[in-house]
Amino acid sequence: MAQTWFSREWLHRNLNTIIPVTGFILMVIALRITNPYFLASWDSVITLVYGMSWFLIAACGLTLVILMGSFDFSVPSVLKLSAMIFAVLYPSIGFSAILVSVLTGLTFGAVNGTLLARFNIPSFMATLATSMIAEGAAQVISGGYTRMITDPAFRAISTTMILGLPSIFYYAMLIWLISIFITFTTPFGRAVYAIGGNIVGTRLAGINVKKVRIMVFMICSMFASLAGILYASQIQGAHMQVGVLDMIPLFASVVVGGTALTGGIGGVHRTLLGVLIIRWLDSGLSMIAVDLNIRMIVFGAIAIVMTILTIDRRRIKIMK
Amino acid sequence: MAIVETLLEVRNITKTFDRVVRALDDVSIRVEKNEIVSVVGENGAGKSTLMKILVGVYQPDSGEMYHMGRKVPFPKNPLEALKRGISIVYQEKGVIPHLRVYQFLFLGLEEKFTRLGRLQLGKIISLAKSVFEELGIKCDLSSSMYELPLSMQKMIEIARAILNIKLMVGGEESNVTPIIILDEPTAPLSIEERDELFQYLLNLKKSNSFIFVSHIIPEVMMFSDRVYVLRDGKLVAHHDLRIEKISEEQLFREIVGRASYHELWVKYEAAKIREIDKKPIILSVRNLTKKGYYRDVSFDLHEGECVGLFGPAGCGKSEVARSLYGDISADSGKIIVNGKEIKLRSEPHTRVKVGIGYFSGETGKELLLFWPIRKNLSIVNFDKVTIKSLKVVSVISFRAEKSLAEKIIKKLRIKAPSIETECYSLSGGNKQKVSVGKWLEKSPRIMILEDPTIGIDVGAREDIYEALLEMKKNGISMILVSDDPKEYAILCDKIISMKDGVIQAVYTNEEFRKVIEL
Repeated sequence: MAQTWFSREWLHRNLNTIIPVTGFILMVIALRITNPYFLASWDSVITLVYGMSWFLIAACGLTLVILMGSFDFSVPSVLKLSAMIFAVLYPSIGFSAILVSVLTGLTFGAVNGTLLARFNIPSFMATLATSMIAEGAAQVISGGYTRMITDPAFRAISTTMILGLPSIFYYAMLIWLISIFITFTTPFGRAVYAIGGNIVGTRLAGINVKKVRIMVFMICSMFASLAGILYASQIQGAHMQVGVLDMIPLFASVVVGGTALTGGIGGVHRTLLGVLIIRWLDSGLSMIAVDLNIRMIVFGAIAIVMTILTIDRRRIKIMK
Repeated sequence: MAIVETLLEVRNITKTFDRVVRALDDVSIRVEKNEIVSVVGENGAGKSTLMKILVGVYQPDSGEMYHMGRKVPFPKNPLEALKRGISIVYQEKGVIPHLRVYQFLFLGLEEKFTRLGRLQLGKIISLAKSVFEELGIKCDLSSSMYELPLSMQKMIEIARAILNIKLMVGGEESNVTPIIILDEPTAPLSIEERDELFQYLLNLKKSNSFIFVSHIIPEVMMFSDRVYVLRDGKLVAHHDLRIEKISEEQLFREIVGRASYHELWVKYEAAKIREIDKKPIILSVRNLTKKGYYRDVSFDLHEGECVGLFGPAGCGKSEVARSLYGDISADSGKIIVNGKEIKLRSEPHTRVKVGIGYFSGETGKELLLFWPIRKNLSIVNFDKVTIKSLKVVSVISFRAEKSLAEKIIKKLRIKAPSIETECYSLSGGNKQKVSVGKWLEKSPRIMILEDPTIGIDVGAREDIYEALLEMKKNGISMILVSDDPKEYAILCDKIISMKDGVIQAVYTNEEFRKVIEL
């Protein structure tokens, strides 16, 4: 249906897009004014890119899960565990550690998905429990110590410069583009949206709902793993603080992009903007010496406001 | 006999939805003191819309309301209706299973029994006791609702409605006679439980009036004083059973009507395949049993044949259909599709693979309402709209999707601005067409139809029948479950009548029409 631009209805229909875009522009202007070093040099751009790349990879996975109307609390913990496995095993088995790490991630995803699809445990409960398992496992394999890896090959994975930007940026963009491709053009992606929109109808239309759900959780955890591996390489090792307090910013970046918590609305393509807003805001605020605790308050508030704005009121009457 | 006194009267009510669907057209009914009035009609006849107007859920477009002889505005919400002494007991959403009887009885009334922030439990229980004594209910107040038989739960719901009215009306109007609307109260009950409930209602009639909404004819005939018949939103008949004698058949014909029936039946005859028994058997069901729902169900389905499972609500017909589609699982028996036995426990997607499709008229359940028509149509047709890209990944071709959608829209005469129109903005009939249309191109071997035309107008109904008959002509077999006997006569070659989960008889189309006297 044709609608005039900036009419009330147009604004209402495109709220999911207008908010992040204007928000991003306003944020960049505000940070530029308050902080003369923000985006002032190529180095500062690279810093921002390092800050957001690993985060984008994890957020892409979480977006898929949220599109399905589910939730995955275990993303930061799986990220941490994978980073830890990689850092702990790298000295003995080298790059095969990546394989171990990713397999661990996939296992966690499969468990999350199975708990939801086969045992009907609400995903936030199931993933909260598995995240504790991942936390514990990370603690056990590292003994709680920080694992530093000084091998330059280890670091090269994510910090090799290509056309002025680190390789981790290209990995992140590749994963982002693949996620967009999957969700927009494959029957599998259609099914992800369909499950988020009306799971009963999707099942009756002959789609294997259980399989899709398990696969999405596996993809999400695999992305969390990849994010962890690349992040470990970026910071030359792993420690128990990796991923701590990242759940709310991750969630915030997905909803700020315009993906609704109710499922079926939004998309991975939107998450890039959400990640830019959240991570740049984080870097910008920390550059002007805003305390971490204050930043957490800001992200919590943003997450709540955006959830309210994007939630699909036509569909949800009572939220439990 | 008591003096007849009109408690509530509504005149010339008209209500349209979305400016198109006329749900009620110039309907007038009245309720007298101490009587049971029945409102009967098919699904979509306007019964529930009328009741929802009486209790203030909907506002009518026009009409007048008189309460105890005085003209009053229509209630704006259920609370206002309650203050006038009108309350409704809905078909199934009422009971909260884990509450105790007295907790449930006083749910929402706690404020009236609170002192200094504390609930006066003693007062509540003693009042509950006296209410139960007055209404003749015998049950333990401290048992949980779910422990009680369904008929008792219904009685307590009715008692709660009466209690609500008594406490809400209060003051100088405390002599108001409560009017309780019962929306299909007997649907989930067994025969004995129904009798129990009716004895209870006859007892309560001394101090209350009831509006009884139902489509079960024998009980309407037996227990009501007067009957109103609604069909397609119009009041078509009114009988005072205390004076008139009418037969069940007469009432049945008034409910169903026979206007457009003949024409449609001609279409059935035209689409009929001769000597259907000689066609190969597509589906065999043998001794299919699901505990508590149906048992020992066996039948064969030939190519291009439509078999109807017929019977009253709760006879197990829809459970059989849904077990065949894998929505629920049967416990024992055999399902043989194309000579191959398939697993009883499985999900719909495995059934789609062996060529079974499912269509229900409940579009809210079936469709992705916030998706465009295009996507809703292609969701079962991924094999038709995808191309292998790089020989590995199946990718949806938007061009193929578009042409598929345009084809179906044209064929079914779906009225929509474009293939990108979101389904929620379509009318009920067009939604249903989208819902059935997605199977049109899929062409499964067997279609399972559950209430395919529930709640839509005559025109849209005919389009859907036409589409189904065409599918049948193309050799697709069907299994029909419906509440509308006409539908069986239009679509089915063989009708299996079920009762209490067991097959009673098998009719041909001709025999069936004789049985239901159409």
